[in-house]
Amino acid sequence: METLTIEILENSATYSLREVCERNGMRAEQVIEFVDFGIAEPEGESYREWSFTPAQLFRLHRALRLQRDLELNLPGLALALDLLEEVDSLRSEVLSLRERVE
Amino acid sequence: MEFKDYYQILGLNYDAGADDIKKAYRKLARKYHPDVSKEAGAEDKFKEVSEAYEVLKDPEKRAEYDQLRTMGARASDGSFRPPPGWESAAHFNDGGFTQADASSFSDFFEQIFGRGGSAHRTYRGNHQTSFRMRGEDIHLRLPLFLEEAYAGGEKSIQYQVPMVDEHDLVSHRPKTLKITIPPGIGNGQHLRLKGQGAPGVGGGQNGDLLIEIQLATHPVYQVDGKNLLMQLPVSPWEAALGGNIVVPTLSGKISLTIPPNSNETTKLRMKGKGMPGKTPGDLIVALKIVMPKQQTERGKQLFEALKQELDFNPRVELEKP
Repeated sequence: METLTIEILENSATYSLREVCERNGMRAEQVIEFVDFGIAEPEGESYREWSFTPAQLFRLHRALRLQRDLELNLPGLALALDLLEEVDSLRSEVLSLRERVE
Repeated sequence: MEFKDYYQILGLNYDAGADDIKKAYRKLARKYHPDVSKEAGAEDKFKEVSEAYEVLKDPEKRAEYDQLRTMGARASDGSFRPPPGWESAAHFNDGGFTQADASSFSDFFEQIFGRGGSAHRTYRGNHQTSFRMRGEDIHLRLPLFLEEAYAGGEKSIQYQVPMVDEHDLVSHRPKTLKITIPPGIGNGQHLRLKGQGAPGVGGGQNGDLLIEIQLATHPVYQVDGKNLLMQLPVSPWEAALGGNIVVPTLSGKISLTIPPNSNETTKLRMKGKGMPGKTPGDLIVALKIVMPKQQTERGKQLFEALKQELDFNPRVELEKP
């Protein structure tokens, strides 16, 4: 069996617009549109200088899946992602509070 | 092979109109989308729903499916076989599998619409074979128990990898990898396995496999970044008198010294006993004072003596005007 090298992606790791496109199989216009709607907030002034974190890379990919499967428009997509993240964190808070009470 | 009733999957009658089909799909897709639902089995359910929609939304495929549904051979055990010589028209056109990720449609689907069913989508449409292109990354969520994340270790993962054949057609094949989780990985952290994503095209680099860690909540420990928090039950006299207490931690039992006159606001920090890593976190212990359940006659007398001895009103704060 081949040996696999596992790397922990630190949040200091960054990706350029071009890398995000290659990795996620997205068109640049699509990424720019997503950024315009605040779906990801890269560092950098112009899109040539943008740098995305691993978490943003995942968020863009998630956005892409949701858009494709649920036919969401961009404002709806941005809202859905924010709410899903909030639900996630509330859900884990509820679980850990419940553990403490019981 | 089991016959799949796509109408039943979408909760529709056989005479449902195009609008009903779209509505039913949208509703179920929202409910079972793996990015939305936390229900067990949601992902499989979502695949089933997308497959059903893929067929029923397309009038041609729907007509073929309906023909099979009413005429196809059903064995006595309920298993299904398409009639001999069956060939789908979808085999000859470019399908239009643009919406759903056709990677994981069922054997049943492939039997009817061909292995082509999913393979009919050419790799990103109309590229030239001479074109070099890096393969896409594949994203995966990996749920872990805190114990697994703490200690690290081997874990087997399964995912679907797109494969491109000599005709530039894509089909998905399952792949299993054994990976070694590094100890001390945290919730929401990302792992990368270089080159384990989708294969590159025309000699291009392979994509990576990116894994997002999802920690399950633990009944004893709460995770706060690298630190772990726990509540340690103590008796009233342990809190009052202090002393050594054995604390179970994820790395075994450790003796902890409790200072005298401790209470529930006391927090004790065990340095380096949190999540391991370059700079390991701490284990932060909060005391929880627990009363003994059964008391003997002598025990009651001692509490009585304590009551006489200490002039203690725990409700002083409440009684202030």
